[in-house]
Amino acid sequence: MNYRYIWKEIRHHRHRTLVNVLGIAVGIALFVSINAVSAAYQRAISLPFKNIGADIVVQRAEKRSLDSGQPPASMRGIRLPFSNQILSVQDMEKLRTISGIDAMVASLLLWEFDQGGFKTIMGVDLTAPSLGPIKVKEWLAQGRFPEKTGEAVLETHFAKFHKIKAGDTFTIGGRSFNVVGLLEIKEGSQVAAANIYLPLADAQSLLGGSAGDINIAYLHMKNPAQIDEIKTQISKTLSGVTVTSSDSFLELMGGMSQISSQFSLVVSLVALAGAIFLIIKTMVGNLVERSREIGILKAVGWTSSDIQKQLMGETFMQAIMGGIAGIAAGYLISYLLGYLSIPVATPWELNLTPAFAKIAETSAKTIRLPVSFSAGLTAAALALSLFAGGLASYFMGRRMSKMKPVDILRRL
Amino acid sequence: MNNADILIGANLSKRFDDLEVVKDVSLIIKEGEFVSLVGKSGCGKTTLLSLLSGLEQPTKGQVILNGKEITGASEEELALFRREHVGFIFQSFNLIPTLSAWENVALPLFPIKMTNEQRQDRALELLNQMEMGHRTEHLPAALSGGEKQRVAIARALINNPKIVFADEPTGNLDSATGDAIMAILSELHKKQGMTMLMVTHALELAKTADRVIRMQDGEVIT
Repeated sequence: MNYRYIWKEIRHHRHRTLVNVLGIAVGIALFVSINAVSAAYQRAISLPFKNIGADIVVQRAEKRSLDSGQPPASMRGIRLPFSNQILSVQDMEKLRTISGIDAMVASLLLWEFDQGGFKTIMGVDLTAPSLGPIKVKEWLAQGRFPEKTGEAVLETHFAKFHKIKAGDTFTIGGRSFNVVGLLEIKEGSQVAAANIYLPLADAQSLLGGSAGDINIAYLHMKNPAQIDEIKTQISKTLSGVTVTSSDSFLELMGGMSQISSQFSLVVSLVALAGAIFLIIKTMVGNLVERSREIGILKAVGWTSSDIQKQLMGETFMQAIMGGIAGIAAGYLISYLLGYLSIPVATPWELNLTPAFAKIAETSAKTIRLPVSFSAGLTAAALALSLFAGGLASYFMGRRMSKMKPVDILRRL
Repeated sequence: MNNADILIGANLSKRFDDLEVVKDVSLIIKEGEFVSLVGKSGCGKTTLLSLLSGLEQPTKGQVILNGKEITGASEEELALFRREHVGFIFQSFNLIPTLSAWENVALPLFPIKMTNEQRQDRALELLNQMEMGHRTEHLPAALSGGEKQRVAIARALINNPKIVFADEPTGNLDSATGDAIMAILSELHKKQGMTMLMVTHALELAKTADRVIRMQDGEVIT
């Protein structure tokens, strides 16, 4: 293989090179963008759970009631959400017996209704590991997270609406709380997006029930691949509970989110195969144009394998250029698509706000597609472009080896 | 076989479908001999040259070149044989348009393991010999017909061939340029003892050679 010759052929036949490079680039760009966007959708859907570090959430809905969208006329003061009734001590003990669970944290979600509207209040176990709603303390914008009873942290928009600052006091359920900090809810964290966060003991006291009352359990798995298996086990062990995971978001979403990672791979490979077919057709077609050159090379003593190596060098060079251009274009397209916000509908049981509040945006949060660079996808794309080059070289070699120098030179 | 016989063609025939282009031709070329093959267009002289140089296999007969029988050899074996023992000069020059003059000259050396400097040194030496030292970096498109043929001659000599086959080397050139090319070929033969087989339809040019073989309707007539 002579690199000088390869470079000169590529440089002098710019049009031919451009067509080949563009062909590979289009195929690779499709491959990269479909897979990158699909992966971003998968990540977007997993964000609500990922942001709170949980794999599974266990709740118990009110038996007799579905959230019909109409507020009961008599509902005033602190109460449990329809979808979050108390999980008993027995329920929690049964959960602990299920193997495969790495960590478990409980919280108490409350609603308070008054003349001004409603508040969502999350009672957080301050002693818990970094799992569940305690994760919100990482998103503090001002002040600190509560350290003892009587302290609360407010979500910034809620605080602004009620004109409350860090250091003020705020009344919840007739009790006064010191506002020790403000926090901003991270994009896609609607599972933990309450208006007020306070110590679990305070929430339990506001509800006025038993001391150990909780209504949401957040579970972290030892092996995330066992989620489906453990979900089934929980449903069998605890009757009447709802068990949700990232898949619950997937089920609610249509369109691109339905493209599983395997399906997107198939779609992108089909697109790439189409592009490779066109590239091979073009490159093999170029051989006719280059038959004079091949005849000369054979006449002056180049063997078919010498010529094949040379053509392979040119093809691989074009494949690499096309591959790099395709990867760049693919990520550019993906990042541009990442500027689009996609709605991530929240399953009813995970929606912290009452459905009858008719605040659509709280139940269907939008998330910007979290497109990110993947070394694996990049390597796969580059390998595929080289494979395309190798395939084209193989077919060119087969065609070229059948050419006899005298047949070519006789035509000249 | 006599040691001085560099090329032997015995009872060579070549048939394309129903047409027999070369008919039972036998000839011997001795080392250092300059032979011209002359005849009208279509008489089979270029086909005979192709058979003798290993570019084409005969339908019948035998070719022994530099002591090795090349009839029946595979395309790959023939290519290697041409690389080591044979030089070609074509009527239409057959230079690679993307390569410079010196790169075209060095073309037969590209598949051989050697440094680029070594290839370039050898190519420049031959181009200087062809009085083309000032045009080494030019592409064929920037060269005149005579210059292109000088580059082609240099390319034919790069591998120190045992024999050079020239197919109508002046066919695409005006008479003055043609004469200059013939002078180069003649000098190569006389000064370097190069063995040459030249195909031409011009009897005047053919007479430059030591021996003239005439062909008519696929047969050698003298």
